[in-house]
Amino acid sequence: MTIFKTILLSVAAFIATCMSSQAQEKKLVFTPHWLPQAQFAGFYIAQDQGYYAEAGLEVDIIHPSASVNALNFLVEGNADIISLFLITAVNAVKNGIDLVNIAQFSQHSAIMFVSKKSSGIETLQDFEGRKIGIWMSGFEEVPKALLSEHSINAEWIPIMSTVNLFLLGGIDVMTVMWYNEYNQIYHSGINHDEMNTFFMADYGYNLPEDGLYTLRHTHQDKQDELKAFVAASARGWDFAAQNKEYTINLVVRLMQEANVPSNAAHQRWMLDKVLESREIEHKDVNRFELHHDDFEKAVSIIQAAYNSNIQIVFEDFFQPVLPLNK
Amino acid sequence: MIKRHSLSFRIITSVLLITVTLFILILSVYYYYTRRIIMESTQRYAIELAGNISGKIEQILLPMEKLPLMLAATMEMGVFHQDSLMPVLKSILKHNKNIYGTCLAFEPDFFPDKGKYYMLYAHREEDSIQTMILGGRDYSYFYMDWYQIPAMLRTPYWSEPYYDEGAGNVLMATYSVPFYCMQDGKRNFAGMATVDIELEWLTDIVSEVRIFETGYAFMISRNGVAVTHPDKSQIMNSSIFSIAEDWNAPILREIGRELLQGKSNFREYNIPGREPRWIYYHNLESNLWSVSVVYPDREMFAPLIQMNTMAILLIVAGLLLLTLITSGIINKLASPLTQFANSARTIAEGNFNVQLPPVKTRDEMKELHNAFSHMQLQLAQYIENLKETTTAKEKIESELRIAREIQMSMIPHTFPPFPDLPQISLYATLKSAKEVGGDLYDFFVINKTKFCFAIGDVSGKGVPASLFMAVTRTLLRSISDKEESPSRIMENLNKSLAYNNESNMFVTFFLGILDLETGLLQYANAGHNPPVLITCQNDIRMFETANAIPLGLFEDFAYPESQLQLNNGDMIFAYTDGVNEAENEQAILFGDEQMLHQLGKCKDPNPASLIHCLETAIESHVKGFPQSDDITMMTIMYNEQANKI
Repeated sequence: MTIFKTILLSVAAFIATCMSSQAQEKKLVFTPHWLPQAQFAGFYIAQDQGYYAEAGLEVDIIHPSASVNALNFLVEGNADIISLFLITAVNAVKNGIDLVNIAQFSQHSAIMFVSKKSSGIETLQDFEGRKIGIWMSGFEEVPKALLSEHSINAEWIPIMSTVNLFLLGGIDVMTVMWYNEYNQIYHSGINHDEMNTFFMADYGYNLPEDGLYTLRHTHQDKQDELKAFVAASARGWDFAAQNKEYTINLVVRLMQEANVPSNAAHQRWMLDKVLESREIEHKDVNRFELHHDDFEKAVSIIQAAYNSNIQIVFEDFFQPVLPLNK
Repeated sequence: MIKRHSLSFRIITSVLLITVTLFILILSVYYYYTRRIIMESTQRYAIELAGNISGKIEQILLPMEKLPLMLAATMEMGVFHQDSLMPVLKSILKHNKNIYGTCLAFEPDFFPDKGKYYMLYAHREEDSIQTMILGGRDYSYFYMDWYQIPAMLRTPYWSEPYYDEGAGNVLMATYSVPFYCMQDGKRNFAGMATVDIELEWLTDIVSEVRIFETGYAFMISRNGVAVTHPDKSQIMNSSIFSIAEDWNAPILREIGRELLQGKSNFREYNIPGREPRWIYYHNLESNLWSVSVVYPDREMFAPLIQMNTMAILLIVAGLLLLTLITSGIINKLASPLTQFANSARTIAEGNFNVQLPPVKTRDEMKELHNAFSHMQLQLAQYIENLKETTTAKEKIESELRIAREIQMSMIPHTFPPFPDLPQISLYATLKSAKEVGGDLYDFFVINKTKFCFAIGDVSGKGVPASLFMAVTRTLLRSISDKEESPSRIMENLNKSLAYNNESNMFVTFFLGILDLETGLLQYANAGHNPPVLITCQNDIRMFETANAIPLGLFEDFAYPESQLQLNNGDMIFAYTDGVNEAENEQAILFGDEQMLHQLGKCKDPNPASLIHCLETAIESHVKGFPQSDDITMMTIMYNEQANKI
């Protein structure tokens, strides 16, 4: 029996070696811009369902920490592809990082402010002199631009990742994502009608967010791999949209492995809202396309925020790897 | 075997119905009150249990909280040298088994030679104590909740459950106390002294408390997040609010919000698709964590359900026994009834000497027995009497039959009666209402040239009337032998009948004497219905008769005589009141008018056909209604032509 088993294992190992040497998978490291969660479900699914492997890729998904952002991973050469907010990417270009957008996933803004009704903060003007929580790892450009536009001076408090300081009243306003922290607050026992919400989109800042980025030289050198990666990821997202419960279970498992607080109810909310943010029905764009106007808006925000006159050419910035169609 | 409609079946079903209803009522009341008592006692138990758990947790947490407080106070006093800090932390761990880790974390650049980050951390790893210096880009502790929140709020703080990636590497909660140092006469915030508690270890402590079979206790943080839970995967990950959403159970959200408001409560919650449970929840005193104790409803009320099942089983068994015993008793009590019924049947068949069932009791059954035997005796006597009466009646009936035969033989009933007298055609009938009647008719020839006929109706009916009629008829014959005038015959007849007429009977009587040669009819009427004259021209009218009283009332009464000339073919129709007073079911009389009408209607009239016509008309009038009076009819036709042959 033992001899038979040993022979069997040896044969299996031999076949596996032959196959892998034949395939010669190309390695890619992808770093999403936040901790594991349903926001990146499509990428996990593509990995889980073997879409990357089918496309001849060996993809490692390495998450940043709440204090070290994805851009660092890219710049330091620890990631080939990262996901970023559009505004963060434009800011990075301003700062001299030669990024290109290879696919725009999100088409709508999900960033917002939340205050407790009990705090009496009803309008943007009420933010004056108040403490506002903001992620320390970035994403602050749009909120700051909005308050700056309205000449509101507030104290920005950097927060790592939780909403606890806001819940305890340490800060008056919290910058949150509609698909994530907003629901975390709700899941901490604050009812919807006990919160005031301020969507950036309602103040003219409906900037699309999640997109895929690489360094320009990576874009030039690994054209085929990037194309394969985006196509396989798109398949992953399609599967996620059609198999939500499976996807949520996968996400929760990955989060638990990463020791990140997770539960199905919250990830279900997130997946739904993230999928909504990708809908293009009412927008004159193709799937994975970055709209020129959105880009210009992002550039103008950065110019205003940093008092810079940086000029970025849209065609240099947006280099889609897949043909654009609906 | 109980028959479905037997007495015992009916009694038992009624008794059972009442008993079962009573039992259901009693059980329901009993169930309601017992459930309430169990609920109250379980509530007390739950409160006590949760109190015990809280006590246990407080015993761990409260002394734990004192350590960072003392550490912070000591730091502020500045008694420790920088190099002795780690040994102090190690010593804390060494002497406090419940603490997983402890740290001193300093504000940026607190020690100029240590750089921006400086955090001393000691924690347990299996049986040893590990120490480390932490802080840096990858462990940016200034922004971690356990540091940032108490730093901003300037107050001690129990953190939410978290996984301490890169330091403790376990699920934990941290109690942090800010410390200060005096610098340039100012009290500046300098850093954080903390202790960590491992949540899985805390869960084990909470789980030591057994609550029925599958009940459990759990703790949640002030955000509703699981701090301890029997399902350890829930710790840090799930909150009562996310579970409320996952299970679609708004009640859990409500409970969660009550907890956050510091309320305690004992309540039931039913979530569709899950078994009903009871929960008691209250907050710890030391921080805003809360302890909840959850019981499955099924287990909480298991003793009640057991008791009820036992009670129902006992009741069912009791009712079965009751049914058996009751049916036995009733059957025994009621068994004579069946035998009485059989006896009654035998008696009905005529056997009065049947043996009645023996009854030894002195109850209603005995009364029934006595009544039965009395009935038996009475029936026997009655039947005996009946036999005698019937024999007597049969004898009388037989005699009446003979009397009728005699009565009928007294009146002429051979038609045509006088074949040698062509002047007269005659037909008559007498139909008695009873066996014997009081009507009479008679006719005979006097001295070959005179034809005498009479019709009468004796008052009353039956044997007396028939006897009176026989007397009348006999007297008529004997008197008419000596007299030729109708009034004289009537007067003599009246005298003879009235004489010694003790019973005051009387007879209405019509007597006519027709001269066969001349056709002259002489007649007298003693209160009888006037006969009808039917002329050959079919002129129909009643005789005109003088008023006179019936025969037999007063001895000396002069009866007037009348006369009438008959022509060839004229007919006389004489009758008794049984004809015109024939009654149908609606008590409508046949009547004179209809009688005359029918007489006129008769085609091809002759004495016999006339009477048959009338008989038919009467029958169709009464339609089978029983006849109440004798019906007598007589028709005489005068044939003058016969004289000329």
